[in-house]
Amino acid sequence: MALLNRIYTDQEQMLDEVIHLGEEIVASSNLDALRENANLNGESFSGKMSKFGSEYAKWYANHFVMPNHLVQAIQDNIVYVHDLDQYAIGTTNCIFIPFDKLLAGGFNTGNGSVRPPNSIMTAMALVAIIFQSQQNAQYGGVSANKLDYDLAPYVSKSFVKYFRKGLDYFEEGDEAADLGEISMGRSDLQEQYPRTFKYASKETESETLQAAESLIHNLNTMSSRAGGQIPFTSINYGTCTSPEGQLVIQSLLKATMRGLGSGETPVFPIQIFKCKQGVNQEKEDPNYHLFLMAAECSAKRLYPNFANLDAPLNLQYYDPANPDTEFATMGCRTRVLSDRFGRNHLSGKGNLSFNTINLVKLGLEHGIALGRRREADERGFYRELKHYMDIATDGLLHRFEIQSRQKAKASDFMMREGVWEGGEHLSPDDQVGDLLKHGSLSIGFIGLAECMKALYGKHHGEDEEVYRKAYDLISYMRKYCDEQSKRHNLNITLFATPAEGLSGKFTKRDRAVYGKVSEIVDREYYTNSFHIPVYYTISAAKKIELEAPFHDLCNAGAISYIELDGNARNNPAAFINIVKFALSKQVSYFSINHPIDRCTSCGYEGIIGATCPSCGQHENDVHIRRLRRVTGYLTGDYQTRFNAAKQAEVRDRVKHGI
Amino acid sequence: MNICGYYPESINEGEGLRASIFISGCRHRCPGCFSPATWNFKYGELFTEERQAEIILDIKNNPLLSGVSILGGDPFFSAEEVNDFIDLLRQEAGPVPIWIYTGYTFEELLAMPGTPEFGLLERCDVLVDGRFIKNLRDPSLLYRGSSNQRIIRISESLAAQKVIDWEPLYSF
Ligand code: SF4
Repeated sequence: MALLNRIYTDQEQMLDEVIHLGEEIVASSNLDALRENANLNGESFSGKMSKFGSEYAKWYANHFVMPNHLVQAIQDNIVYVHDLDQYAIGTTNCIFIPFDKLLAGGFNTGNGSVRPPNSIMTAMALVAIIFQSQQNAQYGGVSANKLDYDLAPYVSKSFVKYFRKGLDYFEEGDEAADLGEISMGRSDLQEQYPRTFKYASKETESETLQAAESLIHNLNTMSSRAGGQIPFTSINYGTCTSPEGQLVIQSLLKATMRGLGSGETPVFPIQIFKCKQGVNQEKEDPNYHLFLMAAECSAKRLYPNFANLDAPLNLQYYDPANPDTEFATMGCRTRVLSDRFGRNHLSGKGNLSFNTINLVKLGLEHGIALGRRREADERGFYRELKHYMDIATDGLLHRFEIQSRQKAKASDFMMREGVWEGGEHLSPDDQVGDLLKHGSLSIGFIGLAECMKALYGKHHGEDEEVYRKAYDLISYMRKYCDEQSKRHNLNITLFATPAEGLSGKFTKRDRAVYGKVSEIVDREYYTNSFHIPVYYTISAAKKIELEAPFHDLCNAGAISYIELDGNARNNPAAFINIVKFALSKQVSYFSINHPIDRCTSCGYEGIIGATCPSCGQHENDVHIRRLRRVTGYLTGDYQTRFNAAKQAEVRDRVKHGI
Repeated sequence: MNICGYYPESINEGEGLRASIFISGCRHRCPGCFSPATWNFKYGELFTEERQAEIILDIKNNPLLSGVSILGGDPFFSAEEVNDFIDLLRQEAGPVPIWIYTGYTFEELLAMPGTPEFGLLERCDVLVDGRFIKNLRDPSLLYRGSSNQRIIRISESLAAQKVIDWEPLYSF
């Protein structure tokens, strides 16, 4: 047995803890713990079963695995170790999947081998299978960073098949004739074989749309993780300009707008439209119509979000000849692009783990809010911040050692099939460390707004001087990460933590220590990363302008939101202008939140107050499903699946455009 | 003049993100009017110089606005004061595009040349016209309440002496 952590000495207390853990899960008595993850039904049998595993795994990591000072920092409520239940066994977080490679070469799921697909229908079906196989090899999100490029060849394959068939049907030519490389862009073929070409185009379009519809259905229904959790899938697209790639994009958007079985908004996959000047931003750009369609889809369905390839931190790695260098995200905002070992592209790597710093508590300890001093003790603040960042870094490195020691066979599909680049060259018993170094280790932060308030009495949305201080603070954290990267020769990056599950935990424990502190510890949550508080009234433009510069600092990922009230689908100009404005201000990843309510009685979607405007039923009599976004992901029904802190945050959001 | 509502950013009263100002007072008395309280010219708050300056500053400082929408009540019953406000607004914030809502029809206003009402019409860019008619109510209509109401491009219509419909910049 590993050594007992020195922080805990009392054996009897430990036994109490273990027993209490089980009791809480069995009785569903701690709703917040059960709803920690908005995507998992923690009150179901399978949810509880997985909770038993994860709660004990956390407990074990606390007592027997983590370094003492890390455990202490967690107890101090300043450092938070995400996905602690995966710490001891060395699982990695998330990944961008090289779908092009896997589809072209075929793959093995472990239960059988799969041949390369010969049509777009099969290719999209395999995308779902690859997502599913991969997500069992890690704990976080799985993302396709360029699905339009990845799938275009299979649209071509379908087209060729229909084209050859058409030559025969319409007697326009010889089915087996050598016509060079047949594709949807060949206008010469269109002229020479008009009926065949038209037939092949129509058939290919309808097959691609059907394939996209079934992909979205599949990704919403495969509850393959323990606890009935649907895998966190994200798909990025928007820049492929071949007719085949455009058809993929168009079909995914169309299918998303159509919605699921009875027209409801799909929660998965998270979709991200990649915006690039010269490709899809101006009228004369080849994919501009798809950008407009993406905006329409987003106004109807909340997805896609918008990734900004022109933001300086993304543009520096952009190679127009290689779509794998185009910035894309895990839906939750995670970004991995640069690599000090040269893999400056996305697919084949991901984030390994991240630890988050509670800036608010540091602010309270060194600021004016508690009445302990007249002026903020900035020196003390930075000293302590550095101390805890050191510990957070140590924690990441310690965890990285555990991850590195794991054998390739532990993450099975991911390594064997080369989903993690190079994994295919390892033997099952080889350790994975040398490959994992291409991934990122990230330090996140939460509650910049409340931290500023605690230090100086105002947050960075309220005062220019404080804004500069806030910017300096995050710059300092970024610089720290860069220095640690050099020192440890690893990719250590700064993350704007989304706070899923964490929102509320820090706050609850701080409140136990400090009580309610007005406008700092008086809500059930702390503000996400560097965001201007959701409850603060500010114009949409100002919010974007203030948040944008922070995107450049957070090289592990960040997102900005605007809350829109009113029916976004009725005002395309407003929607498109806001997106374009955010992109022009160099926001790296952007999204507009707006309410989508659905009357379960008549199926009306839009904004529903107490009564449905379509059928007139009252919310006391019929269920109104209220879809909201949490940390980049949508969640089915915020009143039943969100934890208390997240529900409070959604309630407090100030909307633009009443 | 009183105003009974101000939204610095709205997506519901015209194309794009707009600042919306509601002017108190209306004599049309349409049956089924969504807010009869606004008929009263004393409803809401006095539109003081300070309040005007505040709102003008908001508009001037908001690069995301596509313009301003003026609603009511019916602003045409306070045409002179609204004209003064618009002149001040444009003097301070530049050529701000304005949508204006009224219970009058375009033809009714056209028949009043030389009046402050006509001046108000001329100052604005887009007119949403016509009384609210209860049994023509349709919540799916863009930016208006009943299907008799029209969205009109003012200067083109004045030049042509007939209604020229407004077209959206983008449509979903
Ligand atoms: S014009 Fe408008 S405010 Fe006046 S009565 Fe008609 S609906 Fe009501």
